[in-house]
Amino acid sequence: MWSNTQPRLHSVEPPAPRPPLIGMRAAAKTYETQTGALRALDGVDLDIADGEFVSIVGPSGCGKSTLLRMLAGLDDCEEGELTLEGKRIDGPSRDVGVVFQAANLLPWLTVRQNVELPTRVGGKHAPGEVRVDDLLEMTGLADFGARYPYELSGGMQQRAGICRALVRNPRTLLMDEPFGALDALTRERMNLELQRIWQANGKTVILITHSISEAIFLADRVVVMSARPGRVLCDLKVDIPRPRGFDTIISHPEYARLAREIRGLLNAQGEIE
Amino acid sequence: MSTTLHPTAAQPAPQRDAYAAAAREPDVVTGMSSSGPVAASALPCGANPPSGARAAGRRKPRGDARTSWITLAGLVVLIGAWWLSVRLLHVPSYILPEPLAVVRALWSGLAVSPASPTGYYLPLWSTFCNAAIGFAIGTGAGLVLGSLMAESRTIERLVMPYAFALQSLPKVAIAPLIVIWLGFGDGSKIAIAALLSFFPILINSFTGLRAVEPERIDLMRSLSASRFETYRIVKLPNAAPYIFAGLDMAVVYALLGTIVAEFLGAQRGMGVVITQAQAVTDVAGVFAALVILGAMGILLHAVVRRLEKRVVHWADRNKR
Repeated sequence: MWSNTQPRLHSVEPPAPRPPLIGMRAAAKTYETQTGALRALDGVDLDIADGEFVSIVGPSGCGKSTLLRMLAGLDDCEEGELTLEGKRIDGPSRDVGVVFQAANLLPWLTVRQNVELPTRVGGKHAPGEVRVDDLLEMTGLADFGARYPYELSGGMQQRAGICRALVRNPRTLLMDEPFGALDALTRERMNLELQRIWQANGKTVILITHSISEAIFLADRVVVMSARPGRVLCDLKVDIPRPRGFDTIISHPEYARLAREIRGLLNAQGEIE
Repeated sequence: MSTTLHPTAAQPAPQRDAYAAAAREPDVVTGMSSSGPVAASALPCGANPPSGARAAGRRKPRGDARTSWITLAGLVVLIGAWWLSVRLLHVPSYILPEPLAVVRALWSGLAVSPASPTGYYLPLWSTFCNAAIGFAIGTGAGLVLGSLMAESRTIERLVMPYAFALQSLPKVAIAPLIVIWLGFGDGSKIAIAALLSFFPILINSFTGLRAVEPERIDLMRSLSASRFETYRIVKLPNAAPYIFAGLDMAVVYALLGTIVAEFLGAQRGMGVVITQAQAVTDVAGVFAALVILGAMGILLHAVVRRLEKRVVHWADRNKR
């Protein structure tokens, strides 16, 4: 059924494959240290589609945080190329929200002021920002807007950190071991919460983590990186229906298989976190 | 100024105050004024009871009460020992007067109309005004230059060597020169107070502004924040505890500088009261003036502390 308003050419050719939201082509990074050059990343190739949730695991020091910093535009990518929506990443982007390790809230601002911070800085703002009240509501912080970060538990602080990353309504969320400092139970609760937020918002998420169970639980794909210099060892699809729950996922055969495989890969790297 | 402060915002920690006083003591001594330590031990009630009473509702009321009782007991013992030594050792009154003589001198200076030429009020007001104006100019300039140094490596390299060279120079030694330049009026008092209060703020604001966690800078960079936004929202609040530590020093230095300038020549001020009493070997009068100055120092210190507790309320608890 051809539409008259559409030129014929379009309907005949197969639709061009949508470019990935985030592309990494032979991305590499070498740090100059006092003891000589240190190769942190060595040719990372990875494509991430719009709306995908990708976890990156790897031995500590494998450059996964470096990769995330480069994607966030905080570190330069000297070799290879990183692209966001087809454009080379050459600095921080308005369309990317970063969730840091250990919340990184400013202690002299209230929770609300912390969450609003991205809307207050960085020049003019396009409309379409998320309402702070909705974010606080969504993360259960509605009653804590006027509190200071030191009055909140670690989990609540990190939830505020996630709110802050979402307030500009970015398409991509970069998370660098966001729950590493939390206890196991809080961490599971935060994972559930993050899954809920992701399902509600449809963001593209890249999550760096040390936890194999967290990586599988949350992700559509788990990318395993090698020890330094970091490369992509394996890109595993997680075929487990959502919404996932911790009690159900543990008994899922796919979960067991993936966990075993990732563990084996990390073991082969001589390190298991 | 203290009336604008919220009473519950104050969380005095006597130990910390005592520590700060102890830490400041050497500077006061090298600054060739003995008024600090003497008056501080003679007048702990000036600062403690109000803060202690307010702290009572919040935490460790019993501990606070005990601390002020111990301080008070120490004061009584000190004055007792003073009185006894004067009596038993027959110390002449032109060396060390009896405590009661000092109280009498205090009374004669305080129990008069505020406009009286023989009272403490006029010279105290003059000294306070000059110290306050000097403090404002010195700390303002120190903060501006400290900020510029923290933000620009070029300015840092340009200013830092001279700042350190001047810092190690006993700055009161410049006072005679300033009196030559600016004369015996208020100008020289303000200038010396400003000069003395300038350096602690310069060094502390510079240090504090540079001591930002890199993650916080990363956060601001990831938000494409401008340089000034990063300064205003992250660096300046981050430096606030350092700046307040500097203000705490500067407030005493400003007072010190004013008094030193008044010693060198002035028409009015507490420094003049002291030199006049000295001229007629009225040692009790000198002691009384020292007590007044000590009380003023403690009061100004308490105001800065109170302000700090209010502005930097997050600092202590954040370091859990």
